[in-house]
Amino acid sequence: MKKIGLIVNPIAGMGGSVGLKGTDGEIYKKAIELGAKPTTPQRIEETLSLIKREDIHFMVAPGKMGENSIGKFDFKYEIVSTINEETNASDTKRIVKKMLEKNIELLIFVGGDGTARDIYDAVGLNIPVIGIPSGVKMFSPVFALSPNAAAQMINNYTKELTEKEVLDIDEEAFRENKISAKLYGYLKVPKNITLLQAKKEPSNVSRSEEDMKEEIADYLMENLEKETLYILGPGTTLKTIADKMGVEKTLLGIDAVFNGELVGIDLNEKGLLTLIKMYNKSTIIVTPIGGNGFIFGRASKQFTPEVLKLIGKKNIVVVATEDKINKLECLRLDTGNIEVDKSLSGFTKVITAYKKETIIEVK
Amino acid sequence: MNENPYLPAESIRKAAVKGMENVNRYSELKYLNELKKLIGKYSNIPLNRVILSPGSDFILREVINIFSKDRKIIMVNPSFFPVSQYAMKLALKLTKIQLSPPGFKLDPELFLNELDEPTLLIIDNPNNPTGASILDNKLVENILQNKNVLLLVDEAYYEFSGQTFAGLIKKYPNLAITRTMDKAFSLAGFRLGYLLAGDYFKDQFSDFPAFLSKPTLFAAIEALKNPEYVTKNIKKIISEKARIEEELKKTGIEVFPGSANFILIKCKIPDFARKLMDSGILIKDLSEEWLNGFYRISIGLPEENDALLSIIKNN
Repeated sequence: MKKIGLIVNPIAGMGGSVGLKGTDGEIYKKAIELGAKPTTPQRIEETLSLIKREDIHFMVAPGKMGENSIGKFDFKYEIVSTINEETNASDTKRIVKKMLEKNIELLIFVGGDGTARDIYDAVGLNIPVIGIPSGVKMFSPVFALSPNAAAQMINNYTKELTEKEVLDIDEEAFRENKISAKLYGYLKVPKNITLLQAKKEPSNVSRSEEDMKEEIADYLMENLEKETLYILGPGTTLKTIADKMGVEKTLLGIDAVFNGELVGIDLNEKGLLTLIKMYNKSTIIVTPIGGNGFIFGRASKQFTPEVLKLIGKKNIVVVATEDKINKLECLRLDTGNIEVDKSLSGFTKVITAYKKETIIEVK
Repeated sequence: MNENPYLPAESIRKAAVKGMENVNRYSELKYLNELKKLIGKYSNIPLNRVILSPGSDFILREVINIFSKDRKIIMVNPSFFPVSQYAMKLALKLTKIQLSPPGFKLDPELFLNELDEPTLLIIDNPNNPTGASILDNKLVENILQNKNVLLLVDEAYYEFSGQTFAGLIKKYPNLAITRTMDKAFSLAGFRLGYLLAGDYFKDQFSDFPAFLSKPTLFAAIEALKNPEYVTKNIKKIISEKARIEEELKKTGIEVFPGSANFILIKCKIPDFARKLMDSGILIKDLSEEWLNGFYRISIGLPEENDALLSIIKNN
């Protein structure tokens, strides 16, 4: 039997129908006052009704966090932990950690970007997850396309995994029609995202995402210059490069390496400016955010216009796996400074594997 | 799969059956030469420049096999996916140029700047899956004047677009064109592709074996001798394509103009391809290899197209 965890954020998505952009923090109470009804039970029940596998033993969160929905079906399940009448993010994290202690192989969660953040806090990259979209904010590309697609992902579960970004959207700014997001972390998800993809014949020429990252790192290592400060942006591709360099990189921070030595960890703007001024030559290596393609101005606010002005376009190297770059219309910038955006826009080369590159427009 | 919804003429099916006689024997050279001669006449190219192949992607792969050893490959993205994946696997050095909506245009200057070392360029024109015509005569000649460069244009949809560079083959030894009889000629099940080769390609393919079966040869010969059905079917497909495009636009779906036998759309309806599949209609969901929300719709029979439109309108 496969042990699969199931947890529902009962308030996710409630803000949508009443015009609120999200239910993080205490906002959900306002949503209830405005007459919002829970939407997550319908979403999870749609998924559950389409699961055909009989070899699953669910580890389910109690009451409205999962138990109430799964009880309507014939699945084998066990309830994990307890909850009070009112639930919040700490319940999600606490219960998921309990599920991990029970050795679940896969976690299914229902919610939006806020829930994905909580799941990341509890799970990290330890086990794969399938996210059923039910929130108002759905900017993180970790979610299945729909409850139906999630069911097909479970039915056709593949061990081939990919890492997708969890984005931290500022709800206050979002309510003012501004999208302000930073990279919060990564979750592992199965690589088949839709029913059609799941049914496709496996390609005998495809290489795993990890292999591609290794190739990118190998290629960069061959082309590293001495006496140059390398500033590594966030992300797992950059982590692979740092591993090759033999330095310990923070996954979400900006770190700097000079002649094989780590000279800056989790740098902020001030730290970056100091280092760039200290060394004669500096190069930034970054990877775009999957799905929206931002290289600056979203994932890593530390790369401020000041920092980018000092570095200049010719000293920026962009890396991304084929899978990621193929799904982007263009790369994007939003540094907050129009002049800097202009100076960095135009076409750029992205290293996608060993001696392989894609030329793409930066807008 | 992007196929022709119409069967080939009855005489072609009969010719294929005739090709079944004496199947204990290999295909005779005279039939291969006859087919080459007919393709040469059809393409206005001497028969010694025609290389036959079971499907054009087979020959595209062979071109990559031969020329990727000491050349950089340049392709656009998206492109005919099987060939693109093969290039990714085999190329020692590969540059892809991303085509972006809504125009999917190639920046000629950007492109020509990349030709500073021995290069094999593979471009499908019209492009699959966007349908965009991305090459013109001026750009092609600019590319070909660079002796470092070999240019292979995949003209799988030539009969629908009406645009070809075959006229440049005699002048430029570094140009080759692939075409297929799978699409306009309704012979997908037979898999017949061919290469129109400039001198440089011709020399490399001089010992390329012909892998074609007798029924395929007979069907293709008959099709080229009596191609009236092709012209008729192309007209029907182009007219249906225009009708579907107009109807789709009315529903608010974004339709991208193209000159192949399919339509590229962008659609925000969740699970769009699956919903159509549940009703027995298959379209190509491009989200795995390319962009989310983009789909390629092949033109079907009028009643199939009606069914498609009716499902979309009721969603």
